[in-house]
Amino acid sequence: MNAIETKALNIGYRGPKGDQTVLSGVDLSIADGEFLTILGPSGCGKSTLLRVVADLLEPLAGDISVLGEDPSVIRSRRQVGFVFQESTLLPWRTVEANIELPVQVGRGRTGVRDSDRKRVKDLLEMLGIAGLEKRYPKQLSGGQRQRVAIARALFSEPRILLMDEPFGALDEITRDRLNEELLDVWRRTGTTILFVTHSIMEAVYLGQRVMVLGANPGRVMALRDLKGQKTPDNRCAREDPAIVNLMSELRKTLEQVS
Amino acid sequence: MNSLLRSVIAPVFGPLSIILAWQYLVPIAGIPPYILPTPTGIAGALANQWPLFADNVWTTVIEAIAGFLIGNLAAVLMAVVFVYSAPIRAAYFPVVLFFNTIPVLALAPIIILIFGLGLTPKIIVAAVICFFPTLVNMIRGLDSASSNERELLHILSATPWDNFWRLRLPRSLPMLFSSLRIATATAVIGAIVGEWIGSDKGLGALIIQATYNYQSDRLYGAIVLSSGLSIALFLIVVAVEKLVLRHE
Ligand SMILES: Nc1ncnc2c1ncn2[C@@H]1O[C@H](COP(=O)(O)OP(=O)(O)OP(=O)(O)O)[C@@H](O)[C@H]1O
Ligand SMILES: [Mg+2]
Repeated sequence: MNAIETKALNIGYRGPKGDQTVLSGVDLSIADGEFLTILGPSGCGKSTLLRVVADLLEPLAGDISVLGEDPSVIRSRRQVGFVFQESTLLPWRTVEANIELPVQVGRGRTGVRDSDRKRVKDLLEMLGIAGLEKRYPKQLSGGQRQRVAIARALFSEPRILLMDEPFGALDEITRDRLNEELLDVWRRTGTTILFVTHSIMEAVYLGQRVMVLGANPGRVMALRDLKGQKTPDNRCAREDPAIVNLMSELRKTLEQVS
Repeated sequence: MNSLLRSVIAPVFGPLSIILAWQYLVPIAGIPPYILPTPTGIAGALANQWPLFADNVWTTVIEAIAGFLIGNLAAVLMAVVFVYSAPIRAAYFPVVLFFNTIPVLALAPIIILIFGLGLTPKIIVAAVICFFPTLVNMIRGLDSASSNERELLHILSATPWDNFWRLRLPRSLPMLFSSLRIATATAVIGAIVGEWIGSDKGLGALIIQATYNYQSDRLYGAIVLSSGLSIALFLIVVAVEKLVLRHE
Protein backbone atom coordinates (compact mmCIF):
# COMPACT_ATOMS: atom_id res chain seq x y z
CA MET A 1 0.00 0.00 0.00
CA ASN A 2 1.21 3.47 -0.80
CA ALA A 3 1.70 5.98 1.96
CA ILE A 4 -0.01 8.74 0.03
CA GLU A 5 -2.12 8.59 -3.12
CA THR A 6 -3.79 11.52 -4.79
CA LYS A 7 -5.95 11.68 -7.90
CA ALA A 8 -6.86 14.91 -9.66
CA LEU A 9 -6.46 16.63 -6.34
CA ASN A 10 -7.27 20.34 -6.21
CA ILE A 11 -6.32 22.16 -3.08
CA GLY A 12 -6.71 25.73 -1.89
CA TYR A 13 -8.76 27.88 0.39
CA ARG A 14 -12.49 28.38 0.55
CA GLY A 15 -13.46 31.98 0.94
CA PRO A 16 -16.58 34.12 0.96
CA LYS A 17 -15.78 35.24 -2.58
CA GLY A 18 -15.43 31.68 -3.86
CA ASP A 19 -12.66 29.15 -3.75
CA GLN A 20 -9.08 30.11 -4.36
CA THR A 21 -7.25 27.19 -5.93
CA VAL A 22 -3.60 26.94 -5.00
CA LEU A 23 -2.56 23.63 -6.57
CA SER A 24 -4.58 21.72 -9.14
CA GLY A 25 -4.46 18.32 -10.80
CA VAL A 26 -2.07 16.76 -8.35
CA ASP A 27 -1.57 13.05 -9.12
CA LEU A 28 0.90 11.58 -6.72
CA SER A 29 1.90 8.16 -5.42
CA ILE A 30 4.30 8.17 -2.56
CA ALA A 31 5.56 4.76 -1.48
CA ASP A 32 5.52 3.65 2.11
CA GLY A 33 8.85 4.58 3.67
CA GLU A 34 9.81 7.00 0.92
CA PHE A 35 11.69 10.23 1.52
CA LEU A 36 10.22 12.90 -0.78
CA THR A 37 11.48 16.46 -0.82
CA ILE A 38 9.46 19.35 -2.18
CA LEU A 39 10.84 22.48 -3.84
CA GLY A 40 9.01 25.44 -5.29
CA PRO A 41 8.79 29.21 -5.31
CA SER A 42 7.32 31.00 -2.33
CA GLY A 43 3.53 30.92 -2.29
CA CYS A 44 3.17 28.00 -4.71
CA GLY A 45 1.37 25.82 -2.17
CA LYS A 46 3.99 23.62 -0.49
CA SER A 47 2.66 24.24 3.01
CA THR A 48 -0.90 23.95 1.75
CA LEU A 49 -0.16 20.49 0.37
CA LEU A 50 1.25 19.32 3.71
CA ARG A 51 -1.77 20.77 5.49
CA VAL A 52 -4.11 18.71 3.33
CA VAL A 53 -2.17 15.51 4.05
CA ALA A 54 -2.27 16.31 7.79
CA ASP A 55 -6.04 16.88 7.69
CA LEU A 56 -5.63 20.53 8.64
CA LEU A 57 -7.35 21.55 5.43
CA GLU A 58 -10.04 19.91 3.28
CA PRO A 59 -9.21 19.46 -0.40
CA LEU A 60 -11.35 21.47 -2.83
CA ALA A 61 -11.79 18.53 -5.20
CA GLY A 62 -10.32 15.17 -6.11
CA ASP A 63 -9.17 12.27 -3.99
CA ILE A 64 -6.48 11.81 -1.43
CA SER A 65 -5.79 8.73 0.64
CA VAL A 66 -3.17 8.40 3.32
CA LEU A 67 -2.17 4.82 4.17
CA GLY A 68 -5.28 3.79 2.29
CA GLU A 69 -7.61 5.87 4.46
CA ASP A 70 -9.07 9.33 4.63
CA PRO A 71 -6.53 11.80 6.11
CA SER A 72 -8.82 12.41 9.10
CA VAL A 73 -8.70 8.72 10.05
CA ILE A 74 -4.93 8.69 9.96
CA ARG A 75 -4.79 11.89 11.95
CA SER A 76 -7.06 10.54 14.68
CA ARG A 77 -4.86 7.45 14.89
CA ARG A 78 -1.87 9.69 15.52
CA GLN A 79 -0.02 8.34 12.52
CA VAL A 80 0.98 11.76 11.24
CA GLY A 81 3.71 13.92 12.71
CA PHE A 82 4.17 17.55 11.72
CA VAL A 83 7.22 19.76 12.14
CA PHE A 84 6.47 23.42 11.57
CA GLN A 85 8.80 26.03 10.15
CA GLU A 86 8.95 27.71 13.55
CA SER A 87 9.47 25.04 16.17
CA THR A 88 6.11 25.80 17.88
CA LEU A 89 7.18 24.53 21.27
CA LEU A 90 4.84 25.57 24.07
CA PRO A 91 6.95 28.03 26.10
CA TRP A 92 5.43 27.07 29.48
CA ARG A 93 6.42 23.43 29.11
CA THR A 94 9.88 21.98 29.59
CA VAL A 95 11.52 20.09 26.75
CA GLU A 96 10.33 16.85 28.32
CA ALA A 97 6.76 18.06 28.78
CA ASN A 98 6.68 19.38 25.21
CA ILE A 99 7.71 16.01 23.82
CA GLU A 100 5.19 14.24 26.06
CA LEU A 101 2.37 16.51 24.88
CA PRO A 102 1.01 13.78 22.58
CA VAL A 103 0.61 11.40 25.55
CA GLN A 104 -1.05 13.95 27.79
CA VAL A 105 -3.46 15.03 25.09
CA GLY A 106 -4.30 11.43 24.30
CA ARG A 107 -4.61 9.77 27.66
CA GLY A 108 -5.99 12.65 29.66
CA ARG A 109 -4.83 12.67 33.23
CA THR A 110 -3.78 9.04 33.50
CA GLY A 111 -0.48 10.76 33.04
CA VAL A 112 2.92 9.95 31.77
CA ARG A 113 4.24 6.44 32.22
CA ASP A 114 7.82 5.41 32.93
CA SER A 115 8.05 3.96 29.45
CA ASP A 116 7.20 7.43 28.05
CA ARG A 117 9.99 9.02 30.09
CA LYS A 118 12.37 6.43 28.74
CA ARG A 119 11.25 7.15 25.20
CA VAL A 120 11.83 10.89 25.66
CA LYS A 121 15.35 10.15 26.85
CA ASP A 122 16.02 7.87 23.90
CA LEU A 123 14.68 10.42 21.41
CA LEU A 124 16.80 13.22 22.87
CA GLU A 125 19.83 10.98 22.71
CA MET A 126 19.07 9.98 19.15
CA LEU A 127 18.83 13.65 18.16
CA GLY A 128 21.97 14.64 20.03
CA ILE A 129 20.38 16.81 22.72
CA ALA A 130 20.51 14.46 25.71
CA GLY A 131 20.30 16.13 29.11
CA LEU A 132 18.10 19.07 28.11
CA GLU A 133 14.89 17.51 29.50
CA LYS A 134 14.28 20.11 32.18
CA ARG A 135 15.05 23.20 30.11
CA TYR A 136 12.41 25.61 28.87
CA PRO A 137 12.26 26.46 25.15
CA LYS A 138 13.57 29.98 25.86
CA GLN A 139 16.78 28.41 27.14
CA LEU A 140 17.50 26.58 23.87
CA SER A 141 19.19 27.59 20.65
CA GLY A 142 17.21 27.57 17.41
CA GLY A 143 18.78 24.27 16.35
CA GLN A 144 18.05 22.63 19.70
CA ARG A 145 14.45 23.81 19.55
CA GLN A 146 13.99 22.34 16.08
CA ARG A 147 15.39 19.02 17.34
CA VAL A 148 12.91 19.03 20.21
CA ALA A 149 10.11 19.69 17.72
CA ILE A 150 11.29 16.70 15.69
CA ALA A 151 11.44 14.58 18.83
CA ARG A 152 7.86 15.55 19.62
CA ALA A 153 6.73 14.66 16.10
CA LEU A 154 8.49 11.29 16.34
CA PHE A 155 7.18 10.56 19.83
CA SER A 156 4.01 8.79 18.78
CA GLU A 157 5.92 6.81 16.12
CA PRO A 158 4.10 8.32 13.13
CA ARG A 159 4.01 6.44 9.85
CA ILE A 160 4.07 9.78 8.01
CA LEU A 161 6.29 12.70 8.96
CA LEU A 162 5.52 16.07 7.38
CA MET A 163 8.24 18.68 7.67
CA ASP A 164 7.69 22.28 6.53
CA GLU A 165 11.05 24.00 6.06
CA PRO A 166 12.14 22.73 9.46
CA PHE A 167 15.74 23.90 9.11
CA GLY A 168 15.10 27.13 7.21
CA ALA A 169 16.28 29.38 10.01
CA LEU A 170 19.48 27.53 10.86
CA ASP A 171 23.07 28.13 9.88
CA GLU A 172 24.53 25.83 7.23
CA ILE A 173 26.71 23.74 9.54
CA THR A 174 23.84 23.01 11.95
CA ARG A 175 21.56 22.34 9.03
CA ASP A 176 23.98 19.80 7.53
CA ARG A 177 24.31 18.06 10.87
CA LEU A 178 20.53 17.92 11.33
CA ASN A 179 20.15 16.57 7.79
CA GLU A 180 22.49 13.76 8.70
CA GLU A 181 20.57 13.04 11.91
CA LEU A 182 17.25 13.12 10.10
CA LEU A 183 18.50 10.59 7.56
CA ASP A 184 19.61 8.38 10.45
CA VAL A 185 16.19 8.61 12.04
CA TRP A 186 14.54 7.84 8.74
CA ARG A 187 16.71 4.77 8.16
CA ARG A 188 16.00 3.51 11.65
CA THR A 189 12.26 4.11 11.70
CA GLY A 190 11.25 3.61 8.09
CA THR A 191 8.88 6.57 8.33
CA THR A 192 7.58 8.15 5.16
CA ILE A 193 8.83 11.74 5.05
CA LEU A 194 7.55 14.72 3.06
CA PHE A 195 10.09 17.48 3.47
CA VAL A 196 9.61 21.04 2.18
CA THR A 197 12.70 23.15 1.63
CA HIS A 198 13.99 26.13 -0.33
CA SER A 199 17.47 24.68 -0.54
CA ILE A 200 18.19 22.67 -3.68
CA MET A 201 21.17 21.10 -1.97
CA GLU A 202 19.06 19.97 0.96
CA ALA A 203 16.34 18.63 -1.36
CA VAL A 204 18.83 16.56 -3.30
CA TYR A 205 20.79 15.39 -0.30
CA LEU A 206 17.74 14.18 1.62
CA GLY A 207 15.25 13.05 -0.97
CA GLN A 208 14.88 9.79 -2.85
CA ARG A 209 12.66 11.84 -5.11
CA VAL A 210 12.38 15.60 -5.51
CA MET A 211 9.08 17.19 -6.42
CA VAL A 212 9.14 20.67 -7.96
CA LEU A 213 5.97 22.75 -7.71
CA GLY A 214 5.25 25.78 -9.86
CA ALA A 215 3.00 28.75 -9.28
CA ASN A 216 0.43 30.48 -11.51
CA PRO A 217 -1.10 28.09 -12.12
CA GLY A 218 0.04 25.98 -9.21
CA ARG A 219 0.84 22.45 -10.23
CA VAL A 220 3.48 19.75 -10.08
CA MET A 221 6.17 20.78 -12.57
CA ALA A 222 8.59 17.91 -12.14
CA LEU A 223 9.07 14.78 -10.12
CA ARG A 224 12.69 13.69 -10.29
CA ASP A 225 13.80 10.25 -9.16
CA LEU A 226 17.29 10.30 -7.61
CA LYS A 227 17.65 6.63 -6.82
CA GLY A 228 20.03 6.20 -9.76
CA GLN A 229 22.42 8.80 -8.36
CA LYS A 230 22.35 7.53 -4.78
CA THR A 231 23.18 4.36 -2.89
CA PRO A 232 20.27 2.03 -2.00
CA ASP A 233 20.13 3.45 1.51
CA ASN A 234 19.90 6.98 0.09
CA ARG A 235 23.46 8.21 0.54
CA CYS A 236 25.35 10.52 -1.76
CA ALA A 237 28.38 12.81 -1.70
CA ARG A 238 27.53 16.47 -2.13
CA GLU A 239 30.48 16.95 -4.49
CA ASP A 240 29.71 13.91 -6.69
CA PRO A 241 29.50 15.25 -10.31
CA ALA A 242 26.21 13.42 -10.90
CA ILE A 243 24.73 15.19 -7.85
CA VAL A 244 26.15 18.55 -8.90
CA ASN A 245 24.60 18.09 -12.35
CA LEU A 246 21.29 17.20 -10.82
CA MET A 247 21.35 20.33 -8.72
CA SER A 248 21.93 22.63 -11.66
CA GLU A 249 19.20 20.83 -13.58
CA LEU A 250 16.77 21.40 -10.71
CA ARG A 251 17.89 25.01 -10.46
CA LYS A 252 16.95 25.52 -14.12
CA THR A 253 13.53 23.97 -13.56
CA LEU A 254 12.99 26.20 -10.55
CA GLU A 255 14.09 29.30 -12.43
CA GLN A 256 11.55 28.54 -15.13
CA VAL A 257 8.66 28.29 -12.69
CA SER A 258 9.60 31.20 -10.43
CA MET B 1 30.07 49.43 39.40
CA ASN B 2 27.87 50.97 36.78
CA SER B 3 25.26 48.26 37.23
CA LEU B 4 25.37 48.66 41.02
CA LEU B 5 24.73 52.36 40.51
CA ARG B 6 21.77 51.64 38.30
CA SER B 7 20.21 48.79 40.25
CA VAL B 8 20.74 49.86 43.87
CA ILE B 9 22.18 53.30 44.42
CA ALA B 10 20.03 55.25 41.98
CA PRO B 11 16.65 53.75 42.99
CA VAL B 12 17.47 54.41 46.66
CA PHE B 13 18.93 57.86 46.11
CA GLY B 14 15.99 59.20 44.08
CA PRO B 15 13.20 58.71 46.64
CA LEU B 16 15.58 59.46 49.52
CA SER B 17 16.52 62.84 48.03
CA ILE B 18 12.84 63.78 47.75
CA ILE B 19 12.08 62.68 51.32
CA LEU B 20 15.06 64.65 52.62
CA ALA B 21 14.03 67.72 50.66
CA TRP B 22 10.49 67.33 51.97
CA GLN B 23 11.76 66.95 55.52
CA TYR B 24 14.07 69.98 55.53
CA LEU B 25 12.94 72.34 52.76
CA VAL B 26 9.20 72.35 53.52
CA PRO B 27 9.58 73.95 56.97
CA ILE B 28 12.16 76.40 55.57
CA ALA B 29 9.68 77.39 52.85
CA GLY B 30 7.23 78.22 55.61
CA ILE B 31 4.56 75.67 54.71
CA PRO B 32 2.68 74.97 57.95
CA PRO B 33 2.43 71.34 59.16
CA TYR B 34 -1.39 71.37 59.00
CA ILE B 35 -1.09 71.65 55.23
CA LEU B 36 1.95 69.45 54.70
CA PRO B 37 3.49 67.67 57.69
CA THR B 38 7.07 66.44 57.45
CA PRO B 39 7.90 62.76 56.90
CA THR B 40 9.01 62.40 60.53
CA GLY B 41 5.79 64.05 61.62
CA ILE B 42 3.76 61.49 59.62
CA ALA B 43 5.85 58.62 60.94
CA GLY B 44 5.32 59.92 64.47
CA ALA B 45 1.56 60.08 63.97
CA LEU B 46 1.56 56.52 62.59
CA ALA B 47 3.49 55.30 65.62
CA ASN B 48 1.50 57.23 68.24
CA GLN B 49 -1.94 56.43 66.88
CA TRP B 50 -1.14 52.93 65.63
CA PRO B 51 -4.16 51.16 67.20
CA LEU B 52 -6.49 53.55 65.37
CA PHE B 53 -4.66 53.07 62.06
CA ALA B 54 -4.39 49.29 62.44
CA ASP B 55 -8.09 48.98 63.12
CA ASN B 56 -8.96 50.90 59.94
CA VAL B 57 -6.29 49.31 57.76
CA TRP B 58 -7.69 45.83 58.34
CA THR B 59 -11.12 46.82 57.11
CA THR B 60 -9.65 48.18 53.89
CA VAL B 61 -7.32 45.19 53.48
CA ILE B 62 -10.23 42.77 53.66
CA GLU B 63 -12.38 44.82 51.28
CA ALA B 64 -9.59 45.31 48.75
CA ILE B 65 -8.45 41.68 48.72
CA ALA B 66 -11.99 40.27 48.60
CA GLY B 67 -12.92 42.73 45.84
CA PHE B 68 -9.75 41.89 43.94
CA LEU B 69 -10.42 38.15 44.10
CA ILE B 70 -14.12 38.36 43.30
CA GLY B 71 -13.80 40.94 40.52
CA ASN B 72 -10.96 39.15 38.75
CA LEU B 73 -12.48 35.71 39.15
CA ALA B 74 -15.76 36.94 37.70
CA ALA B 75 -13.88 38.58 34.83
CA VAL B 76 -11.96 35.39 34.05
CA LEU B 77 -15.11 33.28 34.08
CA MET B 78 -17.00 35.73 31.91
CA ALA B 79 -14.06 35.87 29.49
CA VAL B 80 -14.20 32.08 29.16
CA VAL B 81 -17.94 32.23 28.44
CA PHE B 82 -17.49 35.05 25.91
CA VAL B 83 -14.66 33.27 24.14
CA TYR B 84 -16.63 30.04 23.80
CA SER B 85 -19.94 31.58 22.83
CA ALA B 86 -19.98 34.21 20.13
CA PRO B 87 -23.75 34.87 20.50
CA ILE B 88 -23.49 35.51 24.25
CA ARG B 89 -20.49 37.73 23.62
CA ALA B 90 -22.33 39.67 20.94
CA ALA B 91 -25.36 40.07 23.20
CA TYR B 92 -23.68 41.02 26.46
CA PHE B 93 -20.32 42.58 25.69
CA PRO B 94 -22.02 45.89 24.77
CA VAL B 95 -23.85 45.79 28.09
CA VAL B 96 -20.60 45.33 29.97
CA LEU B 97 -19.10 48.10 27.88
CA PHE B 98 -21.96 50.40 28.87
CA PHE B 99 -21.56 49.68 32.59
CA ASN B 100 -17.87 50.36 32.25
CA THR B 101 -18.61 53.90 31.09
CA ILE B 102 -20.38 54.75 34.36
CA PRO B 103 -17.85 56.46 36.64
CA VAL B 104 -17.21 54.52 39.87
CA LEU B 105 -18.03 57.63 41.85
CA ALA B 106 -21.51 57.53 40.37
CA LEU B 107 -21.88 53.79 40.72
CA ALA B 108 -20.71 53.58 44.33
CA PRO B 109 -23.72 55.39 45.88
CA ILE B 110 -26.10 53.09 44.00
CA ILE B 111 -24.26 50.02 45.25
CA ILE B 112 -24.39 51.37 48.79
CA LEU B 113 -28.11 52.10 48.42
CA ILE B 114 -28.64 48.49 47.45
CA PHE B 115 -26.28 46.73 49.84
CA GLY B 116 -26.29 48.98 52.89
CA LEU B 117 -23.34 50.07 54.96
CA GLY B 118 -21.43 46.88 55.74
CA LEU B 119 -18.35 45.45 54.05
CA THR B 120 -20.31 44.03 51.11
CA PRO B 121 -20.85 47.25 49.12
CA LYS B 122 -17.14 48.20 49.39
CA ILE B 123 -16.11 44.75 48.24
CA ILE B 124 -18.49 45.11 45.31
CA VAL B 125 -17.12 48.53 44.35
CA ALA B 126 -13.58 47.13 44.50
CA ALA B 127 -14.66 44.10 42.44
CA VAL B 128 -16.45 46.23 39.82
CA ILE B 129 -13.45 48.45 39.31
CA CYS B 130 -11.13 45.45 38.74
CA PHE B 131 -13.55 43.65 36.49
CA PHE B 132 -13.41 45.32 33.10
CA PRO B 133 -9.65 45.51 32.38
CA THR B 134 -9.24 41.87 33.37
CA LEU B 135 -12.19 40.83 31.21
CA VAL B 136 -10.73 42.54 28.14
CA ASN B 137 -7.22 41.21 28.76
CA MET B 138 -8.40 37.70 29.46
CA ILE B 139 -10.48 37.57 26.27
CA ARG B 140 -7.45 38.64 24.27
CA GLY B 141 -5.24 36.20 26.17
CA LEU B 142 -7.52 33.23 25.56
CA ASP B 143 -7.56 34.06 21.86
CA SER B 144 -3.82 34.60 21.58
CA ALA B 145 -2.64 31.11 20.60
CA SER B 146 -0.95 31.14 17.19
CA SER B 147 -2.44 29.21 14.30
CA ASN B 148 0.55 26.83 14.40
CA GLU B 149 -0.17 26.06 18.04
CA ARG B 150 -3.81 25.36 17.28
CA GLU B 151 -2.85 23.14 14.37
CA LEU B 152 -0.40 21.28 16.58
CA LEU B 153 -3.23 20.36 18.95
CA HIS B 154 -5.51 19.53 16.03
CA ILE B 155 -2.97 17.07 14.63
CA LEU B 156 -2.93 15.41 18.04
CA SER B 157 -6.75 15.18 17.86
CA ALA B 158 -7.03 17.21 21.05
CA THR B 159 -10.43 17.49 22.72
CA PRO B 160 -11.90 20.94 23.50
CA TRP B 161 -10.93 20.21 27.10
CA ASP B 162 -7.27 19.70 26.13
CA ASN B 163 -7.43 22.78 23.97
CA PHE B 164 -8.53 24.87 26.91
CA TRP B 165 -6.25 23.52 29.63
CA ARG B 166 -3.14 22.85 27.60
CA LEU B 167 -3.20 25.76 25.18
CA ARG B 168 -5.66 28.59 25.64
CA LEU B 169 -5.46 28.98 29.41
CA PRO B 170 -1.65 28.84 29.71
CA ARG B 171 -1.42 31.15 26.68
CA SER B 172 -3.63 33.70 28.44
CA LEU B 173 -1.67 33.84 31.69
CA PRO B 174 0.88 36.54 30.76
CA MET B 175 -1.94 38.91 29.78
CA LEU B 176 -3.99 37.95 32.84
CA PHE B 177 -1.10 38.78 35.14
CA SER B 178 -0.42 42.11 33.50
CA SER B 179 -3.99 43.09 34.27
CA LEU B 180 -3.83 41.62 37.80
CA ARG B 181 -0.85 43.86 38.52
CA ILE B 182 -2.87 46.92 37.60
CA ALA B 183 -5.88 45.60 39.50
CA THR B 184 -3.94 45.64 42.78
CA ALA B 185 -3.98 49.43 42.79
CA THR B 186 -7.53 49.78 41.46
CA ALA B 187 -8.94 47.35 44.06
CA VAL B 188 -7.58 49.56 46.85
CA ILE B 189 -8.98 52.65 45.16
CA GLY B 190 -12.36 50.93 44.85
CA ALA B 191 -12.43 50.00 48.54
CA ILE B 192 -11.50 53.54 49.59
CA VAL B 193 -14.06 55.17 47.30
CA GLY B 194 -16.69 52.84 48.75
CA GLU B 195 -15.67 53.91 52.24
CA TRP B 196 -15.84 57.60 51.38
CA ILE B 197 -19.44 57.36 50.43
CA GLY B 198 -20.75 55.45 53.39
CA SER B 199 -18.61 54.15 56.18
CA ASP B 200 -17.14 54.98 59.55
CA LYS B 201 -14.37 52.43 59.18
CA GLY B 202 -11.44 51.88 56.87
CA LEU B 203 -8.73 54.06 55.41
CA GLY B 204 -11.25 55.88 53.22
CA ALA B 205 -13.36 56.82 56.24
CA LEU B 206 -10.23 57.89 58.08
CA ILE B 207 -9.19 60.12 55.17
CA ILE B 208 -12.60 61.85 55.15
CA GLN B 209 -12.71 62.32 58.91
CA ALA B 210 -9.14 63.58 59.09
CA THR B 211 -9.79 66.06 56.29
CA TYR B 212 -12.87 67.54 57.97
CA ASN B 213 -11.06 67.77 61.30
CA TYR B 214 -7.84 69.28 59.90
CA GLN B 215 -5.86 66.34 61.31
CA SER B 216 -3.35 66.45 58.51
CA ASP B 217 -0.86 64.06 60.11
CA ARG B 218 -3.64 61.49 60.33
CA LEU B 219 -4.70 62.20 56.74
CA TYR B 220 -1.16 61.72 55.45
CA GLY B 221 -0.73 58.61 57.59
CA ALA B 222 -3.82 57.10 55.98
CA ILE B 223 -2.52 58.00 52.52
CA VAL B 224 0.85 56.37 53.25
CA LEU B 225 -0.90 53.22 54.45
CA SER B 226 -3.20 52.99 51.43
CA SER B 227 -0.33 53.22 49.00
CA GLY B 228 1.58 50.75 51.19
CA LEU B 229 -1.37 48.39 50.83
CA SER B 230 -1.36 48.72 47.04
CA ILE B 231 2.36 48.08 46.95
CA ALA B 232 2.04 45.00 49.15
CA LEU B 233 -0.71 43.56 46.94
CA PHE B 234 1.34 44.37 43.87
CA LEU B 235 4.37 42.56 45.26
CA ILE B 236 2.26 39.50 46.11
CA VAL B 237 0.92 39.37 42.55
CA VAL B 238 4.43 39.77 41.13
CA ALA B 239 5.67 36.93 43.36
CA VAL B 240 2.85 34.63 42.25
CA GLU B 241 3.49 35.61 38.64
CA LYS B 242 7.20 34.75 38.99
CA LEU B 243 6.22 31.37 40.33
CA VAL B 244 3.58 30.62 37.70
CA LEU B 245 5.45 32.04 34.72
CA ARG B 246 8.88 30.61 35.64
CA HIS B 247 9.58 29.88 32.02
CA GLU B 248 9.44 33.51 30.86
N1 LIG C 1 -5.26 30.65 5.35
C1 LIG C 1 -5.20 31.02 4.07
N2 LIG C 1 -6.28 31.55 3.44
C2 LIG C 1 -6.24 31.92 2.16
N3 LIG C 1 -5.15 31.81 1.38
C3 LIG C 1 -4.03 31.31 1.92
C4 LIG C 1 -3.99 30.90 3.30
N4 LIG C 1 -2.74 30.44 3.56
C5 LIG C 1 -2.05 30.58 2.42
N5 LIG C 1 -2.81 31.08 1.42
C6 LIG C 1 -2.38 31.32 0.04
O1 LIG C 1 -2.11 30.09 -0.58
C7 LIG C 1 -0.98 30.17 -1.41
C8 LIG C 1 0.01 29.08 -1.04
O2 LIG C 1 0.46 29.28 0.28
P1 LIG C 1 1.50 28.31 0.96
O3 LIG C 1 1.66 28.74 2.36
O4 LIG C 1 1.10 26.91 0.73
O5 LIG C 1 2.82 28.63 0.14
P2 LIG C 1 4.27 27.98 0.27
O6 LIG C 1 4.58 27.29 -0.99
O7 LIG C 1 4.34 27.18 1.51
O8 LIG C 1 5.18 29.28 0.39
P3 LIG C 1 6.47 29.55 1.28
O9 LIG C 1 7.60 28.93 0.55
O10 LIG C 1 6.58 31.03 1.27
O11 LIG C 1 6.22 28.98 2.62
C9 LIG C 1 -0.42 31.57 -1.24
O12 LIG C 1 -0.77 32.31 -2.38
C10 LIG C 1 -1.11 32.11 -0.02
O13 LIG C 1 -1.35 33.48 -0.18
MG1 LIG D 1 5.24 27.45 3.45
